[in-house]
Amino acid sequence: MNFRQSFKMSMQSILGNRIRSFLTMLGIIIGVAAVMIMVSVVQGQNIEQKKYYESMGTNRVNVNASQWGGKDVTQQLYEYCLSLHDYVSGVTPSTSYSGTVKYKTKNCNNYTVNKNTIGAPQIYLGSDQYSICNNFKIAKGRDISYLDVRKYKKVVVLGDRLKSYLFEYEDPIGKEITIGGQTFKVIGVYAAKDKKSDYSLDYMGVVPYTMNRLLNKTNKLTDFTVKAKSPEATTDAVTRINGFLKGVINPHTGSYSVYTDNSWMQQSEKQNKMLSYVLGGIAGISLLVGGIGIMNIMLVTVTERTREIGIRKAIGGSRKSIIGQFLIEAAVLCGVGGLFGVMLGYLGTLIAGKLLLKITLLPSIPLTLAAVGFSVLLGIGFGMYPAVKASGLQPVEALRAD
Amino acid sequence: MEQETSSVLIDLRDVYKIYNEDEENEVRALDGVSLTIDRGEFVAIIGASGSGKSTMMNILGCLDIPSYGDYLLDGTDVMTLSDRELSQIRNREVGFIFQGYNLIPALNAVENVELPLIYQGIHGGRRREAAMDALDRVGLSDRAERRPSEMSGGQQQRVAVARAIATKAPIIMADEPTGALDSRTGQHVLEILHALHEEGTTIILITHDSKIAAQADRIIRISDGHILFDGPREEAEL
Repeated sequence: MNFRQSFKMSMQSILGNRIRSFLTMLGIIIGVAAVMIMVSVVQGQNIEQKKYYESMGTNRVNVNASQWGGKDVTQQLYEYCLSLHDYVSGVTPSTSYSGTVKYKTKNCNNYTVNKNTIGAPQIYLGSDQYSICNNFKIAKGRDISYLDVRKYKKVVVLGDRLKSYLFEYEDPIGKEITIGGQTFKVIGVYAAKDKKSDYSLDYMGVVPYTMNRLLNKTNKLTDFTVKAKSPEATTDAVTRINGFLKGVINPHTGSYSVYTDNSWMQQSEKQNKMLSYVLGGIAGISLLVGGIGIMNIMLVTVTERTREIGIRKAIGGSRKSIIGQFLIEAAVLCGVGGLFGVMLGYLGTLIAGKLLLKITLLPSIPLTLAAVGFSVLLGIGFGMYPAVKASGLQPVEALRAD
Repeated sequence: MEQETSSVLIDLRDVYKIYNEDEENEVRALDGVSLTIDRGEFVAIIGASGSGKSTMMNILGCLDIPSYGDYLLDGTDVMTLSDRELSQIRNREVGFIFQGYNLIPALNAVENVELPLIYQGIHGGRRREAAMDALDRVGLSDRAERRPSEMSGGQQQRVAVARAIATKAPIIMADEPTGALDSRTGQHVLEILHALHEEGTTIILITHDSKIAAQADRIIRISDGHILFDGPREEAEL
């Protein structure tokens, strides 16, 4: 049997019953669109989350050691972390200070975004390796140097959001701001890495960690961030630092924690995958219902066209060719429905992306192909029974029908 | 013996077609019929409605299978053939002309004529050419693009004739081919059948009308599933 002829026949039959065909396809259209939107939104969320984690820096190990008695081990810890240079590409203290930050009349305590009071920024007490560890890049001016740390320089590098709030369009380099009543000179600005969220990663600043005693009135550095060279090195570094802390901290006088964002990332990726299966599955059920609709309409078509089947058999149509024709018809019905579904899916994904994730989200190509392919398979699957039924008629019986 | 098999085309041996067998409403549409038709004959099977003549044609044309008996078509036992082989015989050996035209309404004239050629696997220009030749023979080449619903009954029947002859099948079976036509268009269809017969095609004409049957060289009269008469036209009481 000629494929083109069958295809043409299918289109004629579909266009000949426009309303019925459309209603039949509606099930497939909605099913395909629903699957695409649900899966795309979850995928989009996953990508956004990944981006967020990556902007914070991957392969990062956060170390916290708190002590309420005994000998302070934080300096030792710092040195130990630095000694892991086989695994580690940077180490910085990351104790933070949260207090009033002012420039002229601008006071960060009044900082609000979308009616959320954000208040004072986090000022991190870091080393010259702070930007390496936390994936910041200098956009303007210079970074904190080793000498700034050594020489107790009262300098600060601002995150993009904090800079914008304090200085608006003014050039901040060389200007002086006050942090907790102390005057600091702005030497640089980091490039923005989180423009969208209200509680932006860029609403921060970094001063040399030797300023700790000025701001927090202590020399104790309780938090460190360690940047490992690779995911494997991250695991090694976590194990080693854990081992070190176990040896030096008495559990009666202190506690410690060592963790990495990598595990969070994997966890959330896993959860997203699960979510996409569940939502995709629910949407898939609606696709299945659409498929049953196709089967129903194909059965009606077979009954309606019994005489045509008889004619075709009488002039030499074999079982196979009759099956082929009805299968192609079902597949075309589903395929065209699938294409409309893809269009609706693109539109819906775009809208859902804007509303839910505030990004321009489009379904991935493999997802699109899978959706159309699946709907065609559905057509073939559900068209099989009516097609076999049609082909099994004796020509003389089929010819007797009106 | 070899001579005989080459001239005998159709050989029915004690064929029965029984509906609802062994039930109260048992119908013996064919009740033990034996019959041979040679290559190139022009035969009319005549009988009243319900006589079994349509059943006869369905069996002769492999549209239906006998309940009992043997049917040898060109030496092949039809009862042993698979569905695919049967459809090939219907496609290549037999051209059908039905009383009700039996055109496919969604296809135009030339597409209807092409249909058996499609099933033969003939493609493209060659197929279109053969279909147009057949339409030309029935004088409808100028209406090739018309749908059946846009044509008169006579034109539709001529399309059906074109479809039957497009494959140049050695047998043409016509079931009341003029039944729904006025006498003038009916005559036209019969002329085409005569012309085909001249060319050596075996023609089997099924009718209840003795005037139509008179066109044939040989008459077979059927009643209640039995053959009442089988002989040349001159001897038949028409």
